[in-house]
Order: sequence, then C-alpha cells, then structure tokens
Amino acid sequence: MIKKFKDLNYYELLKIPYNASSFEIRQAYKHILAIYEESSLATYSLFAENERKLILSKIENAFLTLIDDKKRKNYDNNLVSTGEVSDNILTEKDKKKAIPIFQTSRARANNNSLARIKKKIQENKVADLATNMLKHDHISGKDLRNLRESLGIELEEIFQATKISPTTLVAIEKDDVVNLPPKIYLISFLKSYAEALQLDPKQVVDGYIKNIAY
Amino acid sequence: MRRIYSIGGGKGGSGKSFIAASLGILLAKHGKRVVLVDLDLGASNLHTLLGQRIPEKGLDVYIDKRASSLEEVALSTTIPNLYLISSTKCSLEIANIFYAQKLKIINAIKNLPFDYILLDLGPGTNFNTLDFFLIAPEGLFVTTPEPTAIENTFIFMKSVYLRKLKLSLKEANMWHICQEEITKLSRGALKSPLDLISILVARDPEKGRIFEDLLSDLEFRLILNKFRGQVNENLGEQLVEVCNRHLYPSFDFLGNISYDNRVYESIIARNIFIAKYPYTKTVSDLQNMVRDLTGEKQEPVRVRAQR
Repeated sequence: MIKKFKDLNYYELLKIPYNASSFEIRQAYKHILAIYEESSLATYSLFAENERKLILSKIENAFLTLIDDKKRKNYDNNLVSTGEVSDNILTEKDKKKAIPIFQTSRARANNNSLARIKKKIQENKVADLATNMLKHDHISGKDLRNLRESLGIELEEIFQATKISPTTLVAIEKDDVVNLPPKIYLISFLKSYAEALQLDPKQVVDGYIKNIAY
Repeated sequence: MRRIYSIGGGKGGSGKSFIAASLGILLAKHGKRVVLVDLDLGASNLHTLLGQRIPEKGLDVYIDKRASSLEEVALSTTIPNLYLISSTKCSLEIANIFYAQKLKIINAIKNLPFDYILLDLGPGTNFNTLDFFLIAPEGLFVTTPEPTAIENTFIFMKSVYLRKLKLSLKEANMWHICQEEITKLSRGALKSPLDLISILVARDPEKGRIFEDLLSDLEFRLILNKFRGQVNENLGEQLVEVCNRHLYPSFDFLGNISYDNRVYESIIARNIFIAKYPYTKTVSDLQNMVRDLTGEKQEPVRVRAQR
C-alpha cells in the first residue's frame, strides 16, 4: 500500500538512499525545504499553518538526525528493530563519506615509509657494505642501488620518504648525467637519499659528485 | 491506437482551450487523425481559437438524435487531419445536461474513430466537468504560476479523485456502506485520496486494495502555462512532487509553456497562433509536449543562451 506522508521515515521523506552521504543529505534537505517553506508557491494553499509547522519540524528533525553520525546510527538501529527496513542497511559499511579536497593522510604515509626503511636497515645487517662503500672516494649510483637493494628497500619507499620523484631517483642510480637535475638540487636530493639510508650525507654527496665529474 | 486526453485544471483563463487547440494542431501536423471535443458546455468557444466562425453543427445534432453517430458531427477544420466537435449550437441550458445524455456522450466519445481525442473542459469542479475529465485515463492539468490557479488546480485534482472513487464505489454497490464516513471526510477540506483509501482498507482490506489499484490506473500530467522568466523554474517539478506525495503518486510534469503576449494578440485577431508564429519559444514548448505525448521525445540539444 502507498505510504502516507506522515508515515514516511526520514530517508523516504528526504528521498535519499539508506547509504546517502552527508552531501546528499544536505542537497535533499535544501530541495525539500524549497518545497515546504512558508513562501513556497507550490504548497502555500495546500496546508494549514499548523500542518506546515508539523511538516517543517519533521524535515528539520530528519536532517538533524541523519547529518549526525551518532544519531543516525541510533535511528538506523531503531528502523531495523521495528522491522521497517531489513538489517542490511546496518551491515552496509560502504556508507559514502565526503572526500576531502586535500589529502592530509600523506604525511602519515611518509612517516610510515621512513619507519619501515629504518626497520629494514636494523633487520638487515649490511653495515659492512655501507662502510665499504663510504671508504671509496668515488660513490656511483650503482653503489647506492646495491645498498638499497640489499636492504630490501623499494624505490617507491625512498620516493615516499624523500619525496624525490622516481624518475630522478632512477637517474641518480643509473648515473644518467643527462637526466640529472641541476647540481644544486642534486646535492640536496643526494643528502635526503643518504639520510633515508642512514649514511653520512656529506660523504655521499662528495663521492657522488666526484664520480660523475670524473 | 486510440488515445484520449482530457485537458482541465479548475481555473478559468489558464489556457486550457488554447493548449487543447495547439496540441491538436501539432498532432495533426504529425500526421495523426485528431478530433477536438469542446466539452465546455454552455461556454463553448474552441472554434474561435481555430480561426473558425460558429460551426453549423455539433454536439447538439447528436443529442437531438439528428445524427446517428458522434463522428458525423465532427467538422473538418482549415488544418488537414484535425476535426472539431463543437457544442456552440447547443441549448443555453446545456450546462445542466441530463444524466442519460451525459452517459450517451461519454460512451460515444470513447468510441470515436480517431488517433487522438482531445477533450477541452470548462473551469470549475461541477460533476459534468469531472465526469467528462474522467472519460480519459490520461488527464492533463493546466495551471499557471499564479497562486490562485495553483490553488484551484489542487482543488480540481482532489475533486477528480473523489469523483472517481465515488463513482466506482457506486458501481460496486459499496457506496452506502462508507457514504457517511467519506462525506464527512470530504466535507472539511479533503487532504488526500489516500485518507479515503485507508477508510476503505480498514473496512475491507481486500476491496480497499482493489480501489487503490483503480486510482493507480489514472495517469496525470501537469502543464505549467504562461511561464515567465521571473518564476521559479523548478515550480512545475515541485508541484508534481507535492501532488505525488500528498494526493496520489500518478503525476508527471509535461513542461512549461512560455508566456508570449502574441498569444493574446492572436486570440483577439482570431488567428491561429501556431500558424502565425511558428518559430516562437511558446510553439517549441508545445512541440516538445507533442513529442512527449507521441513517445518520440528525444533529449533536446542544449544550445548555449545567446547574450
């Protein structure tokens, strides 16, 4: 049987799906308010003043309940316990969330990959390899790559930790002089790279510059 | 396939006759055989909108049994494929037509051999108007964006539902059992036909459902006429949403028809507006409706507004 207006639940009232996002809820609220507000041409003759008040307060309640995660959860539980809707609206975990414009989680990813690199350095006892490398005057990209690979660190992880673009990192590791950045940038990139691998930055920078100039 | 549309809407002057005439002309131009029936009994003037003089015969001939079928009194117009059944020559008291005559006309209209039958109705909510409106399973409500017209349209819609329900209940011999309750409910302003249905369901769930289905058979569309720029452009959709929620979910929005002062001028000059000004917004709005009604609607190509 067709439901009467007063029997509609909040979702039906706002005409939104049970997994609506807060954005959709806001839009629906705006839409329905335009229809039922006092100045609306569409409904002015249809309702007495007290009826309109009732409708508007129901719309208000619907909005305030659904926009609040906690209240919404309670309301959903209530709907399920009265048997009005099946309980899969609760298990449905993919409720749409608003997508932030700025990806603030990146900083955390950075910390994670740094920590991961540190852990790998501790686990893999390759101190010999490092000291051996640093003993030489010249340090090539190949040396850096060897060390990184023997530590089991991916290029991606260096990129996440240092924010040096992967193409630059590849160029550094390949001693690809043509594609290397200008010297001033190269020095700071090498520093970051060395720090990420817990090497002495000064030694790495000097050795590398010497090697490619050679 | 025969399709019947009734065109009503409560308030006088909202453009029912103009829309009936215009849709008729456009449908005829689409190659359909169309008949317009002027059912504004006692205030018939559809012929004027078609640029015609007072027709020499019409519904009166059929009522007086001087014609064996209603088709015989359908007059051809200046537009090929378009026919008119006028009621101009009827007695001045025709507005209070006898019940038996009304039934005879209703049955005859249902059997007219045309592709499209458009019924132009008068204003108000008297039983004759409502009964004629209910001839068609598909009704077009014409309103304008003025509060007065909207108010009357709501009243008209509610009256249509009440009438439909009452007639079906009488037919099913059930009227006497719920007469009191329904009369009581409709004496104050009836809120929604759903209230009536719930009375019936409470009394007899099975039969109540049958009546609910009966109301579901009705299909209504809303036309917003005399639409001007300063009006809220979502008004039509909002009205339809309100009708679907508070009356009964059987409404669709057919579209806006732009206001054009030349419509008024053409009526004064007794010209056919569509023929004289075919490249106006008003006519293209009407054409979109015809495409919708004939099921040929495609999404309009959006042209960026010229500054």
